[in-house]
Amino acid sequence: MQYLHSTLSILLCGSLATNALCSDSETGPNPPAAIEPTSSLQFQTGLEPQQAVVLRGRDARWQLLVGKTQSNDRIKDVTREVAYTVEPANIASISPTGFITPLLPGIATISVVSDSGEQANHQLEVTPFDIDEPVNFPNQVAPVFTKLSCNGGGCHGKAAGQNGFRLSLLGFEPKEDYEFLVNESRGRRLFPALPEKSLLLTKATAQVPHGGGRRMEEDSYEYRLLRRWISQGMPYGNENDSRVTSISVHPQQRVMDRSATQQLMILAHYSDGRIEDVTRVAQYESNDAEMASVDVQGFVQTQDLAGDVTVMARYQGQVAVFRATLPLSPNRPLLPQPRNFIDSAVFAKLDQLGIATSPRCDDSTFIRRVTLDLAGRLPSLEETNEFLADTGDDKRDVVIDRLLESQDYAEFFASKWSQILRNRRNNEAFKYGSFAFHDWLRGQIYDNRSYADMVREIIAASGNLSVHPPVAWYRQVTDINQQVEDTSQLFLGQRIQCARCHHHPFERWSQKDYAQISAFFSLVSKKPGPSPDEPIVFSRLGKPSAPHPKLGGALLPAGLGGPELDIAETIDPRQRLVDWMVAPENPYFAPSLVNRYWKHFFGRGLVDPEDDMRVTNPASNPELLTALSQHFIDSGFDIRDLVRQMVTSETYQLASEANEVNLSDRRNHSRFYPKRLQAEVLLDSIDTLLGTHSAFEGMPAGSRGVALPDTSFASYFLTVFGRPEAATACECERASDANLAQSLHLLNSKEMQSKLSDVSGFATRFAMPQPSAEDASQIEEIYLRALSRRPTSGELQKVLEYLAANSDRRSGYEDVLWAVVNSKEFLFNH
Amino acid sequence: MLTVLGGARRLCDGVSRRDFLTIGGLSFGFGGLSLAGVLRAQDAAPRDPSRSSQHKGLINIFLAGGPPHQDMWDIKTDAPSEIRGEFRAIPTNVSGIEICEVFPQLAARMDKAAIIRSIVGCKDRHESYQCLSGWIPTDLSNVGGRPSIGSAVAKLKGPVDPSVPPYVGLANNTQHRPWSDPGNAGFLGAAYAPFRPDGPGMENMTLQGITLDRLADRRRMLTSIDSMRRDIDVSGAMQGMDAFGQRALDVLTSSKLLDALDLSKEDPATVARYGDGKPYKYQYDGAPTCNDHLLIARRLIEAGARCVSLSYGRWDSHGQNFDLVRDHGSKLDQCLSALIDDLADRNMLDDVTVIVWGEFGRTPKINPQAGRDHWSQVNAAYMVGGGMKLGQVIGATNRLGEYAAQRPVEVQEVIATLYHNMGINITSDLLQDPTGRPQFLVDKPPVSELI
Repeated sequence: MQYLHSTLSILLCGSLATNALCSDSETGPNPPAAIEPTSSLQFQTGLEPQQAVVLRGRDARWQLLVGKTQSNDRIKDVTREVAYTVEPANIASISPTGFITPLLPGIATISVVSDSGEQANHQLEVTPFDIDEPVNFPNQVAPVFTKLSCNGGGCHGKAAGQNGFRLSLLGFEPKEDYEFLVNESRGRRLFPALPEKSLLLTKATAQVPHGGGRRMEEDSYEYRLLRRWISQGMPYGNENDSRVTSISVHPQQRVMDRSATQQLMILAHYSDGRIEDVTRVAQYESNDAEMASVDVQGFVQTQDLAGDVTVMARYQGQVAVFRATLPLSPNRPLLPQPRNFIDSAVFAKLDQLGIATSPRCDDSTFIRRVTLDLAGRLPSLEETNEFLADTGDDKRDVVIDRLLESQDYAEFFASKWSQILRNRRNNEAFKYGSFAFHDWLRGQIYDNRSYADMVREIIAASGNLSVHPPVAWYRQVTDINQQVEDTSQLFLGQRIQCARCHHHPFERWSQKDYAQISAFFSLVSKKPGPSPDEPIVFSRLGKPSAPHPKLGGALLPAGLGGPELDIAETIDPRQRLVDWMVAPENPYFAPSLVNRYWKHFFGRGLVDPEDDMRVTNPASNPELLTALSQHFIDSGFDIRDLVRQMVTSETYQLASEANEVNLSDRRNHSRFYPKRLQAEVLLDSIDTLLGTHSAFEGMPAGSRGVALPDTSFASYFLTVFGRPEAATACECERASDANLAQSLHLLNSKEMQSKLSDVSGFATRFAMPQPSAEDASQIEEIYLRALSRRPTSGELQKVLEYLAANSDRRSGYEDVLWAVVNSKEFLFNH
Repeated sequence: MLTVLGGARRLCDGVSRRDFLTIGGLSFGFGGLSLAGVLRAQDAAPRDPSRSSQHKGLINIFLAGGPPHQDMWDIKTDAPSEIRGEFRAIPTNVSGIEICEVFPQLAARMDKAAIIRSIVGCKDRHESYQCLSGWIPTDLSNVGGRPSIGSAVAKLKGPVDPSVPPYVGLANNTQHRPWSDPGNAGFLGAAYAPFRPDGPGMENMTLQGITLDRLADRRRMLTSIDSMRRDIDVSGAMQGMDAFGQRALDVLTSSKLLDALDLSKEDPATVARYGDGKPYKYQYDGAPTCNDHLLIARRLIEAGARCVSLSYGRWDSHGQNFDLVRDHGSKLDQCLSALIDDLADRNMLDDVTVIVWGEFGRTPKINPQAGRDHWSQVNAAYMVGGGMKLGQVIGATNRLGEYAAQRPVEVQEVIATLYHNMGINITSDLLQDPTGRPQFLVDKPPVSELI
């Protein structure tokens, strides 16, 4: 989605916006344009510079935006700080907030003057009122219900309606809304003979008791519009009437001060080319209310926090996003030299925000971090010692390459994919297939198979498990809706579940889009294989189609936002779906993967949650997401190369300790964000540190937790630390929250205690030499094994004292090891 | 203060905890205890000493197998004998309401109960899922399914007492597994699953071969070397771990949950009042009738649990229906009437809802084995307390007990009533599923006659 969005921004800047609008846009291709020499004050109408603002008829309104260019070339919003005059004054009135209401048809000049005397003018035209255009229900009436929250999911918008009156959720089905309002309940809701006595109006204004309270005032714009619509006899409008094709927000992007304000203007673009201001009818939402709030009139107020914030505007199912950057300090921060394009994008953002990075992490932190992230395990004592002793300049890159080629890397990521591909056992007979699928994934990753090819083999999987293990996905994901939803979420980062039953409230996906994706899967069939639990999957011969959920009739398959495809009967339609997905111009496929991997390494997705990519959930650094996606596409979907780019970047190698300016930075990666070790890695790490093994039923002794082929191995430890059951395609199934059961398990469980006191474990071994001369070096070994570093003298001292105070050396060592296991430095990758 | 190392404890009349529930479900039930929950529970206002429980509670007694509605709460005195069966109706202390003769003690307390005789929309499926959640397992299954009431309440309200899980499932494991399902966390995830007093989660609450002093030593050692700054973690997990680490020690020193499960801590007269508490197994693949479970449920609510589910008996009476009702019914009469008195004595009746029901009703016509078969057209429920309007019967079946002739009540209306009694507003308290969609707890309003 980010892709589309970026493209959209550029188009708008190129075709519509004034210079001022694009001058501070990072994404626009235009270089910063010259400011009008005469005045630093300017109108931002969202139109061509000399194009008059046209108000069509008495219903039209227009939000003005006035900006002032400051000495640092930034534009400051002064919409509410200037004085407005209209000449002649009887044509229109302008509120102090810059909101124009037409009074009489005619042409006028709007002038503004600032406190310091600067001036600017703009032309205004109000078209004749004599012909009152019939109100258009979908374009004018339905949005009122959305703006006033009548049709929200908690009220009349829910499937059963509220107290007998229902509306379509967020007004996506105006035809149905019209039916509900005008015809249902024997037409009692509207009364054209006496419009103001209509139940719709008396309820909404709380003249008669209304469970939802008073939603509008009797002299409000909305009230007058609804009353006029009723008095006109409730016209619906013509099928051919123009409709909203997109909306644009102005400005799109601003560098703002903290505790500052910005008026937004939303323009609706209609299919007939008409442009109208919908600032007061659109809905707004800030993605971080602690940084900026926005009111119903589109007035943004930034708070005291620095960073970046986005405000979403929604109207008629269309979305536009305003991005504000709030620098921490006006001074340019000290940033390291970029090592690759990732660093360039991250540091550009930090530069804008005035946030300095933490320093590069030390070698101990690095070897531990990168081994945990790439191989899902702690570095061995030998690996750590060798790395720390290495004096080569490229030693980090060497380690990265070694790990990327390792079996451990393949096993770790096979487990990650296995879980979101729902590789689990419904019963023991599933075992062959689940093991085979995991092994297939491991092989793909070890061989660094192109991601596009790997996805093709899964989505278009056919045959039986022994020949083609990915059919295991179809064994688990049986229902066509689940196939649609899993495919979208896993490989496109799109959660389209909503669109199964109604138009997606925050996206442009309709039930039709959903049905068209499902058409690709409409021919998937199963027949009995070697056993009932090992079916053979195939695609029947035929024309793929899906019924239209509302209108009936067959729909042709189409990718999300893609063209309808007429697929020959002899072709497996899933192949065409994958063709659409892996095409270089597909706006979802590459961003979805790079964002998923970014989250793995950097702790937070550029879009977070990582599989919920939509315009209303914008990326923290869209330029980086775009650059990563492009790189990934250009590399032929080479995952290993992508990972190498990420972990060799300076950004990945920053320390996690905060400096005085970046402590509050939660999404710009000015430092490394610590991550709790995931359940399997934690269990393996504890075993490694204690010299013990966990047993898993049916697996050979010494099997690692991260190498388990599926999630159906019983382990209280893994469950309590959040291992997912692989019941869904969502990464969110893996829980990383702290809870009491975890603490109890670490503190007081048979499992932990038996590991600590295992006769062949390290506690026993360390306690063996009676003279305590070995203690210092043994403590050093514990620290190197656990944390890849040597203890500080203070730590060494404390541990030695503890051992000395303990009469039983073995229990002393057990306690020390327990404390190390429970330290945050061990439990986290930092 | 616990000083013994993990002593065996008496549960359900002499059966040790270990034997009592044999198969270790991996549930732990403390997930409802978020960091915010800990702080909230710690800050909770001091209790009113005149009331032993101030929070709202729910005891969901599942009669697995489908109890015969017409042989318990809805005697069809006007029906022909091949339908009416063997039981007489007896008057209750509410004039005009009659119930089966097997329940004389409940009849004497009808003013404290309400009966719904016209529940519709039951699925013919042998599982507790619908009675515990209002939904069927396939609903939203690809995001993990719908949560049961207890899990939803744990999520929305958190724990009352940080050392007592908000949702406890007492159901014994049965050969037919769906009858012992204590409730499911669904899309809320394992953290909100009911705590089951078995398995490692339970074991971890008693000292495992280590003394409390040594645990405290370990904690001190940890504090002295654990120097990483907590505020660098943006997820909050580090601070959470510290808080829970301290709380874990508290749990091990306080034995609140264990005490609640231990009936030797109860007044013997009260225990006796609930009747013989042994888990009697009547038929092969179902749950036993364990009267002690009802008392344990009351003790758990008192200790701070919000919701306790249990499975009582095996009511799938395809044969010898009347013998089964005589056996199960008279035991239920004993313990349920005791529970009503007990809650009333402790001034808990207004806050605690008890519901007794199964997955569906049974066929009007008695089969040749003197049994009744599955009948999902209509079902009944017996409810107590919860601040409801009691002493009434809602709805009615037709003369033969075949269908709801008056006021059909949807299963979800019953569930909505339970939520309502728990202090939850079903129109505004929503849950977010993993895809971010807000989900209503149920789609139907509470039973207006009851609230």
